[in-house]
Amino acid sequence: MNESLLILTAVAAISLGTPLIFATVGEIITERAGILNLGVQGMMLVGAVSGFWATFVSGSLILGVVVAMVAAAGLAAVHAFTSITLRVSQIVSGLALTLFGTGLASFLGRAGSEPLVGSPSRKVFVPLLDGAMTEIPVVGPLLFGHDALVYLAVIVAGVASYYLFHTHLGLSLRAVGEDPASAESAGVNVTWVRYAHVMVGGALAGLGGAYFSLALVPTWQDDPIGAAGWIAIALVILASWRPWRAVFAAYLFGAAERFQFTLQTLGEPWSNVPSTLLAMLPFVLAIVAMIVLTSGKRARFLGAPAALGIPYFREQR
Amino acid sequence: MTTRRFIVEPRGLASPQLKLFVPVASVLAAMAVGAVFLLVTGVNPLTVYAQMYDAAFGSARGFSETLISATPLILTGVAAAIAFKMLVWNIGGEGQFLMGAVFAAGIAIWLGDGAPAALALPAVVLAGGLGGAVWAAVAAVPRVYLGTNEIITTLMLNFIALNFVNFLIFGSNSPWRDPAVTTFPSGRPIPDAARMPDFFNRLDIGIFIAIGMAVAAWYLMEKTSWGFAVRIVGDSSSTARYAGVGVAQKILGVFLLSGAAAGFAGGLFVSGPVGALDPRSLDLGLGFTGIIVAALARLNLIAVIPVAILMGALNNSGPSLQAIGVPTATVTMLQGAILIFAVAGEFFIRNRLRRPERSSSSNPEEVVAA
Repeated sequence: MNESLLILTAVAAISLGTPLIFATVGEIITERAGILNLGVQGMMLVGAVSGFWATFVSGSLILGVVVAMVAAAGLAAVHAFTSITLRVSQIVSGLALTLFGTGLASFLGRAGSEPLVGSPSRKVFVPLLDGAMTEIPVVGPLLFGHDALVYLAVIVAGVASYYLFHTHLGLSLRAVGEDPASAESAGVNVTWVRYAHVMVGGALAGLGGAYFSLALVPTWQDDPIGAAGWIAIALVILASWRPWRAVFAAYLFGAAERFQFTLQTLGEPWSNVPSTLLAMLPFVLAIVAMIVLTSGKRARFLGAPAALGIPYFREQR
Repeated sequence: MTTRRFIVEPRGLASPQLKLFVPVASVLAAMAVGAVFLLVTGVNPLTVYAQMYDAAFGSARGFSETLISATPLILTGVAAAIAFKMLVWNIGGEGQFLMGAVFAAGIAIWLGDGAPAALALPAVVLAGGLGGAVWAAVAAVPRVYLGTNEIITTLMLNFIALNFVNFLIFGSNSPWRDPAVTTFPSGRPIPDAARMPDFFNRLDIGIFIAIGMAVAAWYLMEKTSWGFAVRIVGDSSSTARYAGVGVAQKILGVFLLSGAAAGFAGGLFVSGPVGALDPRSLDLGLGFTGIIVAALARLNLIAVIPVAILMGALNNSGPSLQAIGVPTATVTMLQGAILIFAVAGEFFIRNRLRRPERSSSSNPEEVVAA
């Protein structure tokens, strides 16, 4: 493989991995609070459509991002209510969120007399440091050719990592996810901590969704995000619930998604491999990783929060 | 201790009226949420709901199409219900449905035109179930023998199955692809002998097979000793182990049965209304809708049948909305909202809310312990 193709693939992997970082870090924060939210795909789609709409109406990218985060956090609040207050099945509630979010995004994109569908975005995230910096061989395109959100994703992962492992609030969060009864005895408000982090997780999923509609595929279409939300849920385990590792896991999956284009560029005989088979690669990778990593007691050893998915009954403490 | 407006206490057994009221209320609440979004986009929700009712139930033809849409949903609903009952989180109904369709179409094409219908029809149905069970096994075997989390593996297998179907039709000259059509790749038509015979408009005998299978699944789970053992495992795997029930085999059995049910749905759909392995006609999210069916039916395998007809009605009414300028996705949105309310409604089936009394017995700890 020649060097420039390798760099092109790496640059694309960073760009395709960016929404996965937001969504994965969001789900890590959610799961660290002991709540499993399978609604990532739905929250990302709602973020994608609402962010696109806000930018379309206002012409402001920042407003688009903010609206995407608020809308997805609102959807996450529904899941927080069912799983924390009503304590019903988190798995079914999360799936419901995804189905509702998928329908809502498609509905909003097609509703009204002048539907969004097919419209290009009024504004798009563009590379921050275009020009001389990107001319530097290898390092230039890898480090400098990206838009603001690519850097923000890495910053978000860094901040989340610091928050989780080096702050008092982060310690409370982890305690809530490991052993809510003990956390409550120590004076932590379990309900409040869970609500807050499920909603922060939702906001980050919404930001990830908005990256698709405002940067990667800046034309509204029914399903702009592919299976990114589902992949993010798998990446949480691959990253063993640690935000820093999520960055590398996300870039790895970005590369896997890009692989089919890379092979096509290589020409014969590589370009003969059907793209429908190569499109399976990220999913096969996720299954293999899951079998290797989560089998037996290894999931606990990896750092899965002990109370993940288990409703907390304060009265039964 | 903060004062609470309500005390939550578990119910013993919910009344049959309540068990019926919660799903009905879920549908109505979802329609109310849908109405808000329809109003915001400038459409009268009553017009939309009337249009949907008319498309699904307003004519004999419409109702037969509703039953066609319901046929696969009965079986994907059964697939989700039997798995969820045992806390086996098979989210892979979608992929198992597609692999059922691949196997069923495959055997039909392999048997060819010469085979008698008496051979071809059972072969197609069984091949569908086998395809679904094989695909479920890819997740079930690691779950049972290695403890691998099945939520993510079954989910990922959905996308692999979809890409595999795309590969068979778009990416290769497989036997599933129609060699006669060169303009746009499509599935090879299934020989007539292997097509489910229709008897009323397009409605075929698949609806009876699906209902029969749902009843058979109910009988298996509720009336046989195998089903009894399975239910013990679902309630408590430690009790089951103590009682000498082989937990691993039971989980594996239910997982494969769940996959087979979704596979049957794929087999009946491909040999019924679709008639070819056509990716665009098969990729409708019927596996996921089965989860809604199962949840709204509260995992009751008989209740799955009417609920599937309701969801089939919604699916069938979707395309007619375009005529009045409303997106088809209204249906998906409503179905998602129904599932949210149905799962939230479980809270009211399991618990009762009570105003605190002033006497000392209002201590919630005591109430819960009672």
